[in-house]
Amino acid sequence: MKNFLALLAALGLGVLIILSLQNNTLFNEYGEDVTGRDSEEYGDREYGEENPASGPANIVTSIVADFRSFDTLGEITVLFVSSLGVALLLGGTKQKRLDLGFHPNFMLRIGSKALFGIILMTGVYVTIHGHLTPGGGFPGGAMIASSMLLLYLADDTFRAKIKGFKILESVAGSLYVLIGIAGLFFADYFLENFLNNGVVGDLLSAGIIPLIYVLIGLKVGSEISGVIDNFLTEEVV
Amino acid sequence: MEIVSQVLLVIGGLFFLLGGLGVLRMPDVFNRIQAGTKATTLGAFALLLGIGFMYPTWFLKVGIIIVFIAISNPIGSSVLAKASYKAQGAPSNVVQDDLKEFLGGTEDVG
Repeated sequence: MKNFLALLAALGLGVLIILSLQNNTLFNEYGEDVTGRDSEEYGDREYGEENPASGPANIVTSIVADFRSFDTLGEITVLFVSSLGVALLLGGTKQKRLDLGFHPNFMLRIGSKALFGIILMTGVYVTIHGHLTPGGGFPGGAMIASSMLLLYLADDTFRAKIKGFKILESVAGSLYVLIGIAGLFFADYFLENFLNNGVVGDLLSAGIIPLIYVLIGLKVGSEISGVIDNFLTEEVV
Repeated sequence: MEIVSQVLLVIGGLFFLLGGLGVLRMPDVFNRIQAGTKATTLGAFALLLGIGFMYPTWFLKVGIIIVFIAISNPIGSSVLAKASYKAQGAPSNVVQDDLKEFLGGTEDVG
């Protein structure tokens, strides 16, 4: 009886949501009916010559890294601030690995190094094909960081050279802002796509979008790797 | 080519089914691990090869996934088995425990 009531409630809620989504009338600030105008413009955007974002074959990427690139810069900053907070809380001048309570056997030690390469390669592939296929800088960077996590978990003496990650992270973030300022110089506004768009579907197309996605991938990967290192080390007292 | 891929897909699905049955029905942890791992490794190989035969341009990617599974599945299951041995030892109905003799009573199973 209880299950039946729950099912009924879920069905009712679903019908309510679907009905309410079917006639959503949107009004702008002057009270005019603008239903479906903005989203249809994004969805039906044709890749013409006068279109500023004509290169990317992937409509999601053209929104994330072109129309709303400033927003993405903000997301990167959020990630940077959170990793900074973790480093402030858990970091220190001299650190050593936490004792995981087990020692890896031969197979785990060698096999994790072999798997590391495959996972890293997948992450890099997803990152540099971000403007053509689903994926992009954020998932690719998370994959790069997960390969580091595998090395950390499989070997309790492993420690990455974390200083290199910190430098890479700063350089990638600064380059992102520099590309934005270059957009101000060579074109009209901050983070505008000023490079040649090329042919849709090529690896080297879509102007600055693949550049930005590679930078995002490097930054996200190195940041999350730094967080992993902070969580799995402790300060030497 | 189509027929080869379909046969491989059916074989893969069958092995996945057997692996799931083994995980469900086997009596203790080690039997479940070996049922799940061996059956699903072969099942995944067959499924991926079937997909590769259906779309020959994907063969390289499918090969990379097969290499990944071939490395990761045995390592993961062996680590799981060792962790479970460390946690609760051999099952009670085991007649001869070679791993215990091999380790010689040391704690470091890892």
